[in-house]
Amino acid sequence: MSDDALQDEIAFVEDGRRVALTLDEELYPRDAILGAAYLFVDRAWVFLSRPGDRQVEVRLKPKGDTDSAALEALAGEFANELLNQVLRVRIGESTGRIREYYMARAFFSTTTQSSIDQLLAELDEEELADDDLEISVPWDTPEPAADTPDEGPAVGDEEPPRA
Amino acid sequence: MTRRGSIAVTHPRLDADKLGPFRFGRIDDKVLLTHDTGQWHLLSEPDFEALLAGTLGPDHPDHAALVDKGFIRDGMDADAIADRLRRKKRWLGMGPHLHVVITTLRCNQSCKYCHASRTDMDRVDTDMSIDTARLVVDHALRSPSPFIAFEFQGGEPTVNMDVIRFIVEYSRERNRNEGKTIEYSLVTNMTRMDEDKAEWLLANDVFLCTSLDGPRHVHDWNRPFAGGQGSAPFDEVMKWVQYFNRRYVEMGRDPELWHVDALMTTTRKTLEHWREVIDLYVSLGIRNLYLRPLNPFGFIMKTWKAVGYDQEDFLRFYEQALDYIIDLNRDGVQIIEGTAALFLKKMLTPDDPNFVDLRSPIGAGTGQIAYNYDGTIFPSDEGRMVDAMGDPIFALGRLGELTPDEAIGHPTVKALAVASLLDTLPMCSTCWNAPYCGVRPLHNYMMSGDLFGQRPNTPKCKQHMTIARLLFERLSRDTDGSLEAIFRRWTLERPRETPPPDLDADGDAGASPAASSPASGDAAPDSAAATE
Repeated sequence: MSDDALQDEIAFVEDGRRVALTLDEELYPRDAILGAAYLFVDRAWVFLSRPGDRQVEVRLKPKGDTDSAALEALAGEFANELLNQVLRVRIGESTGRIREYYMARAFFSTTTQSSIDQLLAELDEEELADDDLEISVPWDTPEPAADTPDEGPAVGDEEPPRA
Repeated sequence: MTRRGSIAVTHPRLDADKLGPFRFGRIDDKVLLTHDTGQWHLLSEPDFEALLAGTLGPDHPDHAALVDKGFIRDGMDADAIADRLRRKKRWLGMGPHLHVVITTLRCNQSCKYCHASRTDMDRVDTDMSIDTARLVVDHALRSPSPFIAFEFQGGEPTVNMDVIRFIVEYSRERNRNEGKTIEYSLVTNMTRMDEDKAEWLLANDVFLCTSLDGPRHVHDWNRPFAGGQGSAPFDEVMKWVQYFNRRYVEMGRDPELWHVDALMTTTRKTLEHWREVIDLYVSLGIRNLYLRPLNPFGFIMKTWKAVGYDQEDFLRFYEQALDYIIDLNRDGVQIIEGTAALFLKKMLTPDDPNFVDLRSPIGAGTGQIAYNYDGTIFPSDEGRMVDAMGDPIFALGRLGELTPDEAIGHPTVKALAVASLLDTLPMCSTCWNAPYCGVRPLHNYMMSGDLFGQRPNTPKCKQHMTIARLLFERLSRDTDGSLEAIFRRWTLERPRETPPPDLDADGDAGASPAASSPASGDAAPDSAAATE
């Protein structure tokens, strides 16, 4: 099923030293946010926090000198990479079983599927299995707001002490 | 002062159920799609949007190719893709083929960047014994791999020539019952060579690789004799390269296939004289030049300020040198850049060169084994180098105590495999370069104390991304196909008449057991810890 093109506005706040973007997990899956954040760890200290339900705030603090224009440009680059990561996640979700099929076929002598047609039929019919053990529940389900640290966990190295 | 704003974004229309699995990135103004099999395709942005939306139909000139490569689901032959993938990764499960033997740590040179942690010439206690050498052969021949390559490194390995002779002769004797294909290569600084050794090496088909950092003023600056005595190292290299190459011709060997290989290590001095380095290699008829960066092992960790450089400086040098080498090819000179050739083989052919340090997972322990002079077994020569710096974390055990099965199944080997499996690593798993790349857990360990490291912060990630990007950019602009023809020549191989030596490694790479000499170049030793 085709998703139509979607317009969105990503809000950001910058204070001359860092820029923060607030993202809706409905539009930007967490894996996409984490994937984009990881790509910026060579240029910025990256902090993630949860300002609200289904929301992720990404705060980028450049490792070098910066100013307002550079921070806005950085936010724009992050937004572009985020779109790429969303595509990667959605394509990966849709094609994962096909990939598993040809990987299994390539590296193991027997596979559970006999043909790609059978696999595709399974894909069409597939429903989420019961999950009594809650294996699919994310490990980092948000804690109560009172326990959330001010700056949130950093993706990247420890921030160096300020001079 | 706080300022608020917003960024307008447009999520492209997506019909993911019409797509096959692929990764993508931007090259120039195009979108590069890559597949697990190594196949790739460049699309314009509008065509990429049409692909995502499921509207790129059979009337599009690229449609058939996109189906064949597995980027479009309807009509995709998943079994054919599985066959391609199996061929690409045929080395999985074959076991270690590259066996690096440290015959001694003694060396008469004191290179400014020595990765090997050499010892002085009076340190005979760092020579491998014949008893240990016998155990090396016994261990190596029990590898499940049908191809075995012994690579002699050091120190300067010819300081302990008796062990080299023993391993060649004993392994041949043992192999009468094993039936493996065995190859031998020697990584030498050439300064301890004499006619007796040379003729024995020639008679026994021991392939030769030497370090040659450039013209005299670069080579001798990088690689002085210990104590500053003796004749210039550069003159020794020239003398023996010419000797061996002349003798190969006299023996009736095809000089395109049989000649001394050489490789250089890039220091700050090299950056100033890069064109002279390439011109020297061309003048010597060397067809494979590895523009090899400094690695974070050994003495270089203490001398970086004197000979090191910024990553960006190296990458600028690499791009200049690569373009110069391409220009030389357009003028009919046959010389290839070795690392680029490895990437190109993955990009342009159905095969993978199986360089142990540029594959997923890395070959440490599963594609290569390193044997220290004292009988300690390491998953790679880099592990041995870390040990020489006082950290034994990568030591697997000792010859005679650890079986080959135990070595391959060692928790350290498993950890290295996990840390280098691109399909599972953040960033790598979705990176367009994943089919061509390989990460270096031991580099990561040296740089950050962590086998995994953070890819955006690792020099190898920047190097590999840059090299692959440079190649794709040039292919993207190659409107008449002339560059692709040159690049395809860089990937060609033809066998030597007698069993070819395998190649590797300074710890930088080990070649496929099935690899033979490229028609337009050497079989590509990327080597020379011994002479560093």
